[in-house]
Amino acid sequence: MDKVKLRIEIIMFIAALVLAVLFFFPVFFSLISAFKTNGEILRNAMSLPSGLYLDSFKYLLTETDFPKAMLNSLILTVVSIVCMIGIIPMAAYAIERTGKKWTNAVYVYFLAGMMIPFQVYMIPLFKEMKTLGLYGTLTAPILIYISGSVGMGVLLYTSFIKGIPAEIEEAAAIDGCTRVRTFWQIVFPLLGPCTASMVVLQGLGIWNDFLMPSLVLHSDQRTLIVEIFRFVGELASQWDLVFAGTTMSIVPVLIVFIALQKYFVKGIAAGATKG
Amino acid sequence: MANTETIPVTAQGTAKKRKRLSYSIWFILPAFILYTAFVIYPTLNSVNLSFTSWDGVSDEIRYIGFDNFVEMFRSERVYNALKNTLILSLSLVVLENIAALILAILVDQVRWFKSLFRSIFYFPVLLSGIVMGFVWAIIFNFNFGVISQLLDRIGLSDWKIDWLGNPNYALLAIIITTVWKGSGYYMIIYLAGLQGIPPELNEAAAIDGANRWQRFRHITFPLLASAMTVSVMLSMIGALKIFDQIAVMTDGGPGFATETLTYIVYKVGFGELRQGYGTALSLMLFVLILIVSLIQIKLLRKREVQM
Repeated sequence: MDKVKLRIEIIMFIAALVLAVLFFFPVFFSLISAFKTNGEILRNAMSLPSGLYLDSFKYLLTETDFPKAMLNSLILTVVSIVCMIGIIPMAAYAIERTGKKWTNAVYVYFLAGMMIPFQVYMIPLFKEMKTLGLYGTLTAPILIYISGSVGMGVLLYTSFIKGIPAEIEEAAAIDGCTRVRTFWQIVFPLLGPCTASMVVLQGLGIWNDFLMPSLVLHSDQRTLIVEIFRFVGELASQWDLVFAGTTMSIVPVLIVFIALQKYFVKGIAAGATKG
Repeated sequence: MANTETIPVTAQGTAKKRKRLSYSIWFILPAFILYTAFVIYPTLNSVNLSFTSWDGVSDEIRYIGFDNFVEMFRSERVYNALKNTLILSLSLVVLENIAALILAILVDQVRWFKSLFRSIFYFPVLLSGIVMGFVWAIIFNFNFGVISQLLDRIGLSDWKIDWLGNPNYALLAIIITTVWKGSGYYMIIYLAGLQGIPPELNEAAAIDGANRWQRFRHITFPLLASAMTVSVMLSMIGALKIFDQIAVMTDGGPGFATETLTYIVYKVGFGELRQGYGTALSLMLFVLILIVSLIQIKLLRKREVQM
């Protein structure tokens, strides 16, 4: 009996291992290719790099707009996330704690946005940004990111705030603490896990976004992903350079993922089961 | 006497109420304004623009009635995009959910390196569709790609396929890339479902002599139903929105072989500068997504009632 059990466990492990190799291969392939010359990639895509060939990275960092694009992506991601965290938890808190008819209506109104895909409103949005004179500024994508995350953010935060007892806040109110201070000093610190999920999921979404920044930004404001997309078109034959670029976009994601793993999984599970 | 006593109480009550109301408004207002200005307003405005022949550049906006919609329903290209969208969505829903279920069961059951496996299966979800689309385009490349090189090495050069250049295979290449990239997300949903099943149920069934398959078929699988509803609907909506992979791998081609509704909106609006027509097409996409979402809500409600 135990022998059968062990055999099943070994079979399962091997199956998982084979799938893991298949799943990891494209990432591995792009990481090793970044350290190979173009000739090496074309001759043998699967081989390990013969030496540590760093010229592609050097070229990208000195001869192209790549560093600037990375900076743009970083600015967009950080500023948008900070603004989101400054706005959305407060709204969710007011909706959840007020619990009136009108706040429920606002809640439904916010959630409806989750059903509207970006492609549906992108053309009018593009026009709106031009009218407002925001087209070609970093402000435009930041405003769009904050607005686009309201639905998902309010959903996550209200369900989390529901689980926090209101007694502490009431005590603070009796002590003469203002609503804003009560929220930021007492409630917000308790929302840590929720905020962490929000930051990692939305942050990655912004870091990886392509369509919107490619539409509302000028060519000298390209984000990392938009720049890589341009490389693919322009440097079609220079795979070594493009792979160096893809590696530089993957590595930050890998580091964040390893450091903050549990929040990714929690955020998805919460979003999916409540949504 | 009774009156004089009650008046101050009510007055105090309304003051408190008003204070509560005012703080709520100020807390909600910033999110409300942004969301209304940059999500709801442009969505509503898309209805307006869909009746125009606007090109996206000029100042003049001319209303042309239902011409865009008439053109849309007569266009072969739109029917082709609709067909591609349906093929893509249905294949992805089936394949991603089967893959996700298998991955979730493996991760749940495997004895060694559980969390490492989970991370590896999930990691592609976090990467950019543009970046990984490019990597897969090179894996599929006819002349120098990984698949072609592998086939050459084992002497099966005749089996080489020009994945992205052949209209019969291009959509399949997009499907493979997307299943690889997306399955980990749905795996997490199934995994949460699996971990919510009380172990006593399986133990009891095992004592009664049920084998692994019987336990899966009669205990695990039915209890995963709600996770499956969520996962199927999310993957359906996700599939309708696919953009990055197509942009970088095929640009809708060869010909129109991988042009989907999402992609045609972009191509028509920004490539061909026909933004009035583009918004009309985007409304069709919206209606499609709305139908799927409403079915989802209905199914979830029904399930809640049953439970």
